Amino acid sequence: MTTGTQGWHADPALLSSYLAGDLDAVNGASVEQHVSRCASCRAAVGPLLEPQLLEQTWTGIRDAVERPALPFAVRLARRCGLSEPTAVLLASAASLRGAWLVGAFLSLSFATLAAYASGGTALAPFLLAAPLAPVLGVAAAYGPRQDPLEALIATAPYGRTRLILLRTVGVLVSVLPVTVLLGLAVPGPPWLSAAWLGPALALVPVLLALAGFVGPRTAAAIVSLVWAGVVLASTRALTPTWPVEAAQQGVYLGLAVAACAVIAIRAGTDRQPGLAL
Amino acid sequence: MSTGTSTVELTHVGKRYGRTRALADVDIAFDRGVTGLLGPNGAGKTTLLRIVATSIGADSGEVRLLGRDPHRSHADVTAVRRELGYLPQELGYPSDMTAFGFIEYIAVLKEWNDRGPRSQEVRRVLDAVGLADQASVRINRLSGGQRRRVGLAQALLGEPRLVVLDEPTTGLDPAQRADLRRTLSALGHRSTVLLSTHQTEDVAALCERVVVLADGTVRFDGAVTDLVATAVGHVWLADEPGDDALVSWRTGTGRHHVVGGRRPVGADPAEPTLEDAYLLMLGPDAQRVHTPS
Repeated sequence: MTTGTQGWHADPALLSSYLAGDLDAVNGASVEQHVSRCASCRAAVGPLLEPQLLEQTWTGIRDAVERPALPFAVRLARRCGLSEPTAVLLASAASLRGAWLVGAFLSLSFATLAAYASGGTALAPFLLAAPLAPVLGVAAAYGPRQDPLEALIATAPYGRTRLILLRTVGVLVSVLPVTVLLGLAVPGPPWLSAAWLGPALALVPVLLALAGFVGPRTAAAIVSLVWAGVVLASTRALTPTWPVEAAQQGVYLGLAVAACAVIAIRAGTDRQPGLAL
Repeated sequence: MSTGTSTVELTHVGKRYGRTRALADVDIAFDRGVTGLLGPNGAGKTTLLRIVATSIGADSGEVRLLGRDPHRSHADVTAVRRELGYLPQELGYPSDMTAFGFIEYIAVLKEWNDRGPRSQEVRRVLDAVGLADQASVRINRLSGGQRRRVGLAQALLGEPRLVVLDEPTTGLDPAQRADLRRTLSALGHRSTVLLSTHQTEDVAALCERVVVLADGTVRFDGAVTDLVATAVGHVWLADEPGDDALVSWRTGTGRHHVVGGRRPVGADPAEPTLEDAYLLMLGPDAQRVHTPS
């Protein structure tokens, strides 16, 4: 320790012991208190630290300040093992953010409530909303003609097709479990809670295949109108569960296969961006 | 002009949008250094840059980038894109992203998967464009010039061998343009940099080579000094605007700067600028692009 006209200052040996954690609790706390108030001793601490350690600490602080927070759904996925770069890409999809997911959840809840209140005679709202929730989510996440970064995404090595498929999977993983849970509350035969998955999993590839030709908005409008037509037509002359019965599931499977084939064929010739998706 | 060794080689390249011809039989190659593309709107500059940036394909002719044919296979186009930095003419910015978040997102698309080196690289490019202290600011709170610099920063990620910049100086003030020139000048020592601009002074200050495009064809390709030399003897300072001048305007001294046409009576020869030479090169199109200052 040294003293002078400016008062007491910690000497290098004491500071080194402090930095190494060799001081007892009382002396350590005393030195810490002093250093926090004494500019001279703070300046003396700097050279005693390893530059690498300082850089590492500063980088960590900057990362915490500058790196944007991930949406809740993506943070959850990170905890389940999603890789960090993939999380960064998914975080940019608007339909994986809180507002959109809450909107989808509310729409589905109202549709479920309507079906529940009718005692199973009015299944149309649920059968209409359940397959369209992922379809609209994918369309919102797709973004080729609306995405402000389209020109950069198209010329990046990651590839637009891959990005859109990643976002599609992200949307499906976010929306489907909630919809399945709500489906359990819908009165009717037990298979009904999962039967809507057939049209949902068919309409998503149909949307993607169509979007490659007409863009996601028009494709989403076409898919929504066609599906609404099927559901509404069934309420007039057929049973409420007709759109999701076994015979129709075969048609959905065929549609899904055809749509995937169209995407695959176009992806095979994707030397220019945006051809397949 | 195909040499077989250039970074960018376009051979008899053509491109149409419906009935409109954007590029016609363009034969040109680019190597390390900064090349400026000049031309009026609709000349084909953006189309040429988009072809080089693998954003669109050519309708005809051969394109070779970094020794590869990007049309040959997915692997080839991806390999080119790994060494490409591209600033499009119009780039939308997600308003809810920060400058750091935006660049980091593009860095992931460019396969910077390791978080530590990626963060360092994002900070390096933000620093290179003078935005290190704006990293955590949302893009919608940045000025137009700052946004353009964010766009430029993403094009510098990974020190690409091929850098394509479509009007990078748009929206920048003179000081920012000077900074940009310094950045690009350093980049030109190790990379092939192609940039389009309407600012002839940027080309004069920055580019060792200039290409003048008009109606989808190359009107001039050579050193900036060679383009300027083509205007010697065609530029005058006169008391009256020339009767058959290509363009003329009244200068601050009260005399008229006359470009092209016959020498006006009593006119003194003037030292031509790159802009004079560019206007002469365009011929009748010059009146469409020239805005008297």
